[in-house]
Amino acid sequence: MNREGLIEKVLQEGERRADEVEAFCIRGRSVSAGIKKGILGTAEESESWSMTIRTIKDGRIGFSSTGDPDRWMECLDAALASGRIATAQEWGGLPVPDTAMFSAPSADLDLAVDIGNAAGMVEDLLAGAAEHPVDIIGGGVDLGRSHRELANTNGVAYSMERTIAAASLEAIREQSTGYEFDASPFLADIDPRAVGEAAASLAYRSLGGDRVDTGRYDVILSPIAAASLIGNILIPALSGRNVKAGRSFLADKLGDQVFDETLRVYDDPHSPGRGSTAWDGDGVPTENLVFVDQGVLERFAYDLRTGYRYGEESTGSAVREGAGEPGIGVHNLVIDGLRRSDMGYGRAISVHSVVGAHTANPFSGDFSVEISNPFWIEDGEATRPLRTAMLAGNVFEMLREIEGFGMDDRRIGRLTLPSIRLNNQQIIGK
Amino acid sequence: MTETRYYDIRCVQGEATLIDIDNGVIESAGTSYFDRTVVRALGPKGWGILTRDHVDIDSRREVDALVEAATRLAVVTHDQIDLADAPRALLPVPPLAEDPREIDLEEKTRLLAGIESVARIPEVANTRARYTEGIDSVRFLDSGGNEFSYEAVRSGFSVLAIASRNGVMQMGSERDHITTGFNLRGKQDLGQKAGEVAVSLLDAKLAKGGAMRAVLDPELAGVFTHEAVGHASEGDLVREGASVLAGKIGEQIGRSGLVIVDDPSLHEFGFIPVDAEGVAVRRTEIIRDGILTSFLHNRETLAAVGDGVPGHARAEHGAPPIVRMSNTFIENGDATYDEIMAECRDGILLIGSRGGQVDPGRGVFQFNAEYGYLIEGGEATGMVRDVSLSGEILSTLHDITLIGDDRRMSPGYCGKGGQTVPVSDGAPHLLLDGAMIGGRGE
Repeated sequence: MNREGLIEKVLQEGERRADEVEAFCIRGRSVSAGIKKGILGTAEESESWSMTIRTIKDGRIGFSSTGDPDRWMECLDAALASGRIATAQEWGGLPVPDTAMFSAPSADLDLAVDIGNAAGMVEDLLAGAAEHPVDIIGGGVDLGRSHRELANTNGVAYSMERTIAAASLEAIREQSTGYEFDASPFLADIDPRAVGEAAASLAYRSLGGDRVDTGRYDVILSPIAAASLIGNILIPALSGRNVKAGRSFLADKLGDQVFDETLRVYDDPHSPGRGSTAWDGDGVPTENLVFVDQGVLERFAYDLRTGYRYGEESTGSAVREGAGEPGIGVHNLVIDGLRRSDMGYGRAISVHSVVGAHTANPFSGDFSVEISNPFWIEDGEATRPLRTAMLAGNVFEMLREIEGFGMDDRRIGRLTLPSIRLNNQQIIGK
Repeated sequence: MTETRYYDIRCVQGEATLIDIDNGVIESAGTSYFDRTVVRALGPKGWGILTRDHVDIDSRREVDALVEAATRLAVVTHDQIDLADAPRALLPVPPLAEDPREIDLEEKTRLLAGIESVARIPEVANTRARYTEGIDSVRFLDSGGNEFSYEAVRSGFSVLAIASRNGVMQMGSERDHITTGFNLRGKQDLGQKAGEVAVSLLDAKLAKGGAMRAVLDPELAGVFTHEAVGHASEGDLVREGASVLAGKIGEQIGRSGLVIVDDPSLHEFGFIPVDAEGVAVRRTEIIRDGILTSFLHNRETLAAVGDGVPGHARAEHGAPPIVRMSNTFIENGDATYDEIMAECRDGILLIGSRGGQVDPGRGVFQFNAEYGYLIEGGEATGMVRDVSLSGEILSTLHDITLIGDDRRMSPGYCGKGGQTVPVSDGAPHLLLDGAMIGGRGE
């Protein structure tokens, strides 16, 4: 079946049977080169296409998706059937076209989705890792390009491209492991050799390690460790749906000084990043959103349906993952605050990553996780590796008592953030 | 043209139904469709793998073209991969007590709403329930002439309650998933339990971290089995040098009497009638009487590593097969629950799971309980919350001092290599000596 003109057909047919219809298509191609036994072992190429349809009738929202263009009518029927069951809600209409939209740099025009290029980058990863005496236990390179189209019966017809270049490597020396990665829409941002070197260095330098006694210590979370705790706890608490449903710790705190007075948290969809986009998953123009300024909670994130339901404006925060229904999320979330060049003053424990961040309590913010690649930091220098230990705390309390932010901003998925120093944290030694 | 030493094709056509009820509001209730095919070809060295939408695998021409393209892709690989021979068989899928396809969306929604609404007891601020149903039609064929097809039906739900008082928020969550029919009837008690746990946790204390004796309930002990032993026994991790269990076959790695099994043939949530490479599945004893006996393998890792049983290749639709667990458990011992509590005397009782994670190369794992109780003088006393447990694979199995006689399996999902597959884990109650408990109580 020809996919050209399919969206128009769906909108035309759907409009006869519902008040409004929206169709979203993603077409993508990606390649990946995977490392096995320290050399290239698998070459993959994937092509995918999916269409998701939303229908609105009398304030009831229906949804379905399909990976087969020939089954578009079945998909439309399923969307309408699901809408008949959904609870009716306040609804003010799908967006109309915006003529003054920003552009967002989301794709690298020069990125070639080619297995030969991915294989070449794997060679660089391995060359970087070879700088330290370690074994390679996994990793690889992914290159991908996708084309997204969103159209609705109010005349919206947007399209955009996304690209991704990603490299990762995991190394081991005896029982010491090191994992590093990087991913960006822009190939030039990725230095596979540096990723390989960093992973190997971590595994090598973490070998052995001192015992640490249970107690309170100053801790420096790397951007990776900070991102996994913040991503699992802070981001859901900023979702307007969670706020209105009574599932957010931050629900009744708008306008309050909730965090450290230098903390700034904002979504910047128009800057280059993994989530850069000019329009959100509902077709609403995106904008720069400041959630936390000088530690004061300024706003929450809303999509169209949650906005209409609770009398709030959409903040252009609808995000789509593959063929799923759009939900509230962030595009390019930036965490910023008072930077200090002497993050490692005195004596502290640095934490590269954590094991088990997803087991945190997303509502209370409490967590206790295993820490990976910890080191003693003395006057700014990593001295000795530490043996395994746990870190226990509460993310909302941590963000109130930040000692400082490093100068080392890093992209981790849809987050950009530096390392964070927190004093007097609870470490459980073994 | 480059030589194709082997190819296989796995096609999954399916329907996924999701119902989401949030605080009594039916947010969505609908069905989506997919049709994904993965073609793997083994060139002179390693794998070339293609993923496509709606391939006609009955078309010789289409299959030939895809296999040729996959083989071309494999040219860039250097790792010499070989496949071990393995037995072939297709088990019958369990009969469905009630076929979820014969129940309309309205009735499913009404039943789910019934479970969700009973969770809404005083002090519960939010309730949410999700029903998930998957109907997968799987077809497999390979260059050796093997061909299998089967249908997998999964039906289940989760229910979450959040209690709130003076700015304190706590959650209770329950889930149940099966492969043997429709799973929404007569389940209100789970909704009620989610609500009651959430409210009780408002008065629970923070657990104090440190080494202590711990009693694990069957659900958490199942997650312990999965994280502490299961992953590290996966043949791909062993082959890559990413598991502390590599080279330890025949060694005593746990207390005598300990038996740990992965069994894809059980009619639990991780059931598969044949693995994703068309290999027969069977019960695999990873640990027998405390001794490491078998790794979990696919054909590739069996050839490279040996010492184990193939039939453990699994794949999410549209993704290549990798070595995975299915139904993983510790066999019953002979201690009663009362004996375990009495033997523990002073320690902590841990109940339910919020998930876990393992670094199998470093040999360190972590997982989190839903809640727990302090044990004082052999009795469960004050309730505690936000308590986790971490340990080291190579020592932790020696620290099991008592094994209960009350094994129970719990369904869940496991993530590895970006793929999520249904699994179940289980164990009887266990007593662990010197468990590393994480909590932020002082």
